[in-house]
Amino acid sequence: MSQALDDRSESIRMIRDSAGAVAPRGGDTKRVRALRFQNPGYDKAVLAQMGELGWIGLAVPEAAGGAGLGMSEAVALAEEVAGGLAPEPLIPAMLSARLLAAAEAPQLGAVLAGTSLLLTAWQEKADSLAVPATPDGPRSFLPMAGGAEGFLVPVREGNRIALHLHPAEGADLVLEKTMDGGHVGTLRPNAARMTRIGDDIGAVLEQALDEAALLTAGAMLGLMERAFDLTLGYLRTRQQFGRVIGTFQALQHRAADLKIHIALTRAAVESAAAALDSGAAGAARQAAVSKAKHRAVESGMFVLRQSIQLHGGIGYTDEYDVGLYLRRGMVLMNQFGSATLHRRRFMALEPEDVE
Amino acid sequence: MAVSIPPRETTDLNQMEDEAFRLHVRAWIEANYPPELRNPPKRLHWEENKVWYFKLAEKGWLCPGWPRQFGGLGLSPAKQIIFTEEIERHGCARTNDHGIVMVGPLLINHGTPEQQEYFLPKILSGEHIWCQGYSEPNAGSDLAALRTEAVLDGDHYIVNGQKIWTTLAMDANWCFLLVRTDKNAKKQEGISFLLVDMATPGITVKPIINLEYHDEFCEVFFDNVRVPAKNLVGTPNRGWDMAKALLSFERIYLGSPRLSAYAFTRLRQLAERMGVWEDAAFQETYGRLRLDLEDLKSLYGAFVDKLRRGETLGPDVSMLKVFQTELFQRITDTMLEIAGENAGLLEPMEGNRNLNPTGLYIQARPATIYGGSNEIQRNILAKNVLGLPG
Repeated sequence: MSQALDDRSESIRMIRDSAGAVAPRGGDTKRVRALRFQNPGYDKAVLAQMGELGWIGLAVPEAAGGAGLGMSEAVALAEEVAGGLAPEPLIPAMLSARLLAAAEAPQLGAVLAGTSLLLTAWQEKADSLAVPATPDGPRSFLPMAGGAEGFLVPVREGNRIALHLHPAEGADLVLEKTMDGGHVGTLRPNAARMTRIGDDIGAVLEQALDEAALLTAGAMLGLMERAFDLTLGYLRTRQQFGRVIGTFQALQHRAADLKIHIALTRAAVESAAAALDSGAAGAARQAAVSKAKHRAVESGMFVLRQSIQLHGGIGYTDEYDVGLYLRRGMVLMNQFGSATLHRRRFMALEPEDVE
Repeated sequence: MAVSIPPRETTDLNQMEDEAFRLHVRAWIEANYPPELRNPPKRLHWEENKVWYFKLAEKGWLCPGWPRQFGGLGLSPAKQIIFTEEIERHGCARTNDHGIVMVGPLLINHGTPEQQEYFLPKILSGEHIWCQGYSEPNAGSDLAALRTEAVLDGDHYIVNGQKIWTTLAMDANWCFLLVRTDKNAKKQEGISFLLVDMATPGITVKPIINLEYHDEFCEVFFDNVRVPAKNLVGTPNRGWDMAKALLSFERIYLGSPRLSAYAFTRLRQLAERMGVWEDAAFQETYGRLRLDLEDLKSLYGAFVDKLRRGETLGPDVSMLKVFQTELFQRITDTMLEIAGENAGLLEPMEGNRNLNPTGLYIQARPATIYGGSNEIQRNILAKNVLGLPG
């Protein structure tokens, strides 16, 4: 496992560097703020740029037009992009690309290129990883659905899960704003408007949802890292009682604890990615992903909350950037399963399958 | 190299494949480790654990990290990790190992050829058992404030002062001692390393009974103790830097998940015995602890990977010590919580060593204090890792 990681360190480093094109480290948040509460809430040109950089197909096999890399690279990318607060729906696009590649559907090319956003409408209820059962039940929590050209609707047919394409035009789609200035949509699928593009994507969907959960854990890691960087900067410069507040031991110890939580999250996320890259399947994959997502949510939200606290009043203003991370965290935390869901799922696995 | 001590193990174990090496070590431990000493509830005294020390010594496996020309195994970092994992996996008792992990590396790096030639073979044979004279009543967390002084008088140092928390000093016949040799220098710059024969007149050892009712620690008093000047290690007044370098072993050792993992298996047994295993509230707590343990293992693995690549660990290894020891405590806190009135028992429940919530609970208390308290570790993280001021 560690050997494999060493071999990949170069490709991971290159991915991180390339992420700077869209999500510059220490870059300003003007672009991000300007897109808040707009329609569609992200920049279609930037999504196309992500496609051009090969990000959407990062983990799609080369033969299908992807980059053929693994989860170790993909979580590094998710971390960088989230750290830069980019509102583009990269993880949902990666999930759809995964399904389209498995179905060998002709729509894959445009999705990989980032010129067409097809969102996978898989979710029938809140806080679930269950694959869908009904053909026409509403599908919820579709990130940035206002920008989608269409929806991929998995439908259970007997023992199989078929994949249908549902165009966005004329769709019964309701949008709700999210805390970070984006939105989520609820689609009421209309069977008459759907085209069948895949016959049996059930196994791939399960795996792709796990991968999306892990990428979301990577995104939480990116948020907590950057919020903590801001917080450290503040502790080093803000003065009260005639001293820099970072000299106060109570605050130093709090900062040390946050650092420990970040290190735990990184270890959990990176070891899970390495496990998937070395072929972990079934229970082993679920265990690795659930550990990582559980940790990323629990520790991530702890770090984000404390980052507000350590900033004092300024942290509670919309104008100051640290709050952007908390609000994005609130949107991401329960996507692809809450901490509770993942803890429960992990505990239900047999210990011998997990270790 | 002036000093040459032939290794007793003649095979170069580094040549073995990792997995074959692991099984080789495991098989030997299983065949040779005294079964009654597995997972001892308390730190063992020399009289109890010397049989294991001598087994290792005889096999030539006592000092896996020492270079081969000094009689060690010269194992690569990756192989040392496997070796340690197997020792921990089997639940082997910690030996009186200060000579192996502290004095050996100290002398190999800073000792004179005469010191190496005299002391190293006696560690390898078990003739010298060492204790560590660092802390003092007024120099605990602030170790550099130590005041035990050594004054040069001809070819001897005269040592006066007091050490405390000296682990198993009553078992030791030698002590490596931090002493103040320059009272006028900055506190870190007037400290030297002295090697002291515990049989020297003027030394008094007094055991301290701890909360386990165990005499693991001692006070050691020095009253005009004459120590040959040739027993000073390295450069006079540079002892602090050498002592700090030696502590990196301790920080990764204290961050190993073994204590938490051991307590965690006992937590499950206790829960089943107490009939709360299926209880939803217990399962909630248990699940959180289990995930914390899993993530500790991942984090430990990340540090171990660095060692395996031959990197030296930075001050961020303090994170491991903090999280491991606090998790160990939280697991044992949960044991008391579910143990009912058994939480007050002195001995293991039903005479079963595996049902010993009070023993583990008490054992977990000092973990956040020794090896640099967790408050000190957080200071280190804040200043040396996060770069916070003052």
